[in-house]
This record gives sequence, C-alpha cells and structure tokens, in this order.
Amino acid sequence: MIPQNFDYATPESLEEAFRLLSDPNAKVLAGGQSLIPMMRLRLAAPETLVDLRGVPGLGGIRLEGRTLRVGAMVTHYELESSPLVRKSCPLLAEAAANIGDVQVRNCGTIGGSLAHADPAADYPASLHALEASVRIASPSGERTVSIADFLVDTFTTALEPGELVVEVSVPVEAEGAGVSYQKCVQPASGFAIVGVAARIVKKDGEIAFARIGVTGLSGNAFRATGVEKLLEGTRGDASDIGRAVAGIGDGVDANNDIHASAAYRQHLARVYAARAIVAAVSRAK
Amino acid sequence: MKIAGSHTLPFAPERAYNLLQDPQILAACMPGCEQLVKIAEDTYQMKMKMVLAAISGQFDGKVRIADPNPHTSFRLIVEGTGKIGFMKGDGRLTLAPKDTGTEVAYEGDVQVGGTMAAVGQRLIDTTSKMMIKRFFDKLCEKAGSA
Repeated sequence: MIPQNFDYATPESLEEAFRLLSDPNAKVLAGGQSLIPMMRLRLAAPETLVDLRGVPGLGGIRLEGRTLRVGAMVTHYELESSPLVRKSCPLLAEAAANIGDVQVRNCGTIGGSLAHADPAADYPASLHALEASVRIASPSGERTVSIADFLVDTFTTALEPGELVVEVSVPVEAEGAGVSYQKCVQPASGFAIVGVAARIVKKDGEIAFARIGVTGLSGNAFRATGVEKLLEGTRGDASDIGRAVAGIGDGVDANNDIHASAAYRQHLARVYAARAIVAAVSRAK
Repeated sequence: MKIAGSHTLPFAPERAYNLLQDPQILAACMPGCEQLVKIAEDTYQMKMKMVLAAISGQFDGKVRIADPNPHTSFRLIVEGTGKIGFMKGDGRLTLAPKDTGTEVAYEGDVQVGGTMAAVGQRLIDTTSKMMIKRFFDKLCEKAGSA
C-alpha cells in the first residue's frame, strides 16, 4: 500500500533535528525498517519524517578506553561486519547478525531499534547481558541511562518527547570471555520468539562471571540474574546449566500469541538459554 | 483472545470500587482517553487516541458497566472503532481485600480486528497487558494525589 502524504526533512545538525521534531506530528526516521512498513499499512501517518542520516555525530563506532561507543545511526550491518566490534564486543556483532534479513540489517539502525522498543527485538537480550548504557540528548542537554532503565515496557522507553538516542555504550569484552546469542526465530518476520544472550568468564575451570539477557519471552527484555547466580561458581557442566536455566521464566508473565503459547515460550526460554550458555562456556578460555 | 491478570491497589475495596466506576478517574487513567461522556446510566461514549511506538490511531467507542456488585465485582464492556481497526472487550473485574489494599483480578475476552490485527497479531497480547498495567499505575498515582 501507499502511505499517506508526508514531508521529508533532512536536518544537517542535531539542533535542526530538535527544531523539526518539536512538531508533535513529526517522527524520527532512523532506518525506517519498522516505521515505513507501518506507514505503508497506514497504521502510522506522521506528517513529517525527520531523517537523521545527515546529522553529524550520530554515526561511527569508536573505542574509548575499555568502552565501545556506537553511534545511534550505526546500522546492524555495520555492527555485524566491523572488525573492531567483532574483536572488542563479539556479542553485539552476533546480535546484529541475527536481526531480520539483509535489507533490514543494511538500513536499520541500533538507535532506531532501541527507540522503537519492540518486545521481540534482538538487541535488548545482548544489551542487558552487556549492561549497556544509552546516551540521550535533547535541546536542554544530555543524560545517560542504563539499558534496564531505558527499556521501560513494550514499545515504551525512557525517552521523553523531544529526546533522541545518540549513542549506545558497551564494555569491551573481558579477555577469554565466551559469548553467544541464540534465538528461536519467527521465520516470516525475523523477530525472536525467544532470544537469549550469554556472557561467561571462566577462572580455574569454574564460571567466575555470568551475564544472561532474555528477549521475546515477556513484554520487556530482562537480565536473568537468578540464572547468573546459579551458574557462577559451577564448572558449567550440562547438569549445572540445566539446573540454572530451570527457573529462567519464574515470575515472568510470558507472552502468548499465535506463534507460541505462554507455556511453550517458557519452554523455549529454557532451551535457548541452555544453548546460549553451552556455546558461551565452550567459547570461554 | 482471552486475557486475565491481577493488580494490587494500595487502598480498601470500597475505595477501589468507587474509583473504578468514577468516569473522571477512568478518563484520566485510560491510556489515550481524550473524552468520556455519559450517554445513559452506566454507559459512556469514549474518544481515544492510541499512540504506541509509531502507530497512532483515533478510536470512537463506548464503555459500559454491567452487573455491578458493589465493592466486590462488576463487568466492563468496551468497544471501539477507528481507521486502523476495531476492538471489543468484555471482562469481569473482581475485587478482594489483600493486606491493607485490594487485589483487582480481571478475566475476559478481547477481540481485535482490521489492519492492526492483521499485522499486529504477535503484539496484541503484550500490548493489552501493558495498557492494563499503565491504567492501574495511573490509577494508583491519581488516587494517591486525590
């Protein structure tokens, strides 16, 4: 279908973008892989699209000390293919490589995906496991929030009207850490029915540090701290992992839709968590 | 689609029941509600603007309260139609004292149709739950300041 008429603006600075976005009928275009399909179906009908592609300072990936800083307009493909990301934060590269299809990865951006906050998006699992932070800018200044505070609920973020995501920061991965992202994919949409990201650091044959992020299971992605605690101090054998993932969905109000019932999603969460942890443990040195 | 869940409100069932039937409170707490006008005993005309991620749509609808059982339960029937689809909901809310507050349990059927259902199937359950949670959060906030 053809979208309703709209204006298209290409600001060349953040200030200009903020000015254009002060119109409540304007909407940010940051890749458009969710927005444009919705406009074509006329589910969304913004009067103006403000394309951030030409705004300097929103692209690029750089290393600053032990922190990897990713600009909001960096595409999934850039993340998946960047030698810097693959080396210093392989989990982020793996998450990006698992998103949608080639077109989505070439056009879609990390900032756009985060601001959209689809409950089945891939990034949140990894960003929770990485304890990432999100830098937000507005005409009145900047603030940085943790990923846990940023993702408030289904399609709901900590962004206030007029604010933009400008950067996502993740820590440089520890030496010898093993990471993995495993998802049960919904083939038509490419979204995760359930996706689990795992980071494991071993010391003297034991798991010294574990971080587990889960997406798709409920209305909001989360860090499975209970699973992490049960893994830490074990050798990461099959029985340790089985015990640790058994309660991954405890107290979680699991989603229920035509693709998977709540009970089946809970089951998938255990299966995919175990797969992600097994893979991460085997990759950890 | 069946929906069920519960929320705990920090006030006694009598107060919770009255708040849940107060059109001004309902209008202030329902996400996107722009207007709620009484058109008959227990029936209200509603205008609502739903804004969810990139989706935004205007809905015209009705809210009806039926089978009232003061302070313990009532039925809530909601229907709305807009350009992007329609929704119908019929559910029972049951109030029970819990510690010093009230547990509100809801159980019902929601039907969503039109474009938004055709493409948003995977999101209806999650989104309905979030809207209901937002409603109760707002209710606590409003009641706390009143």
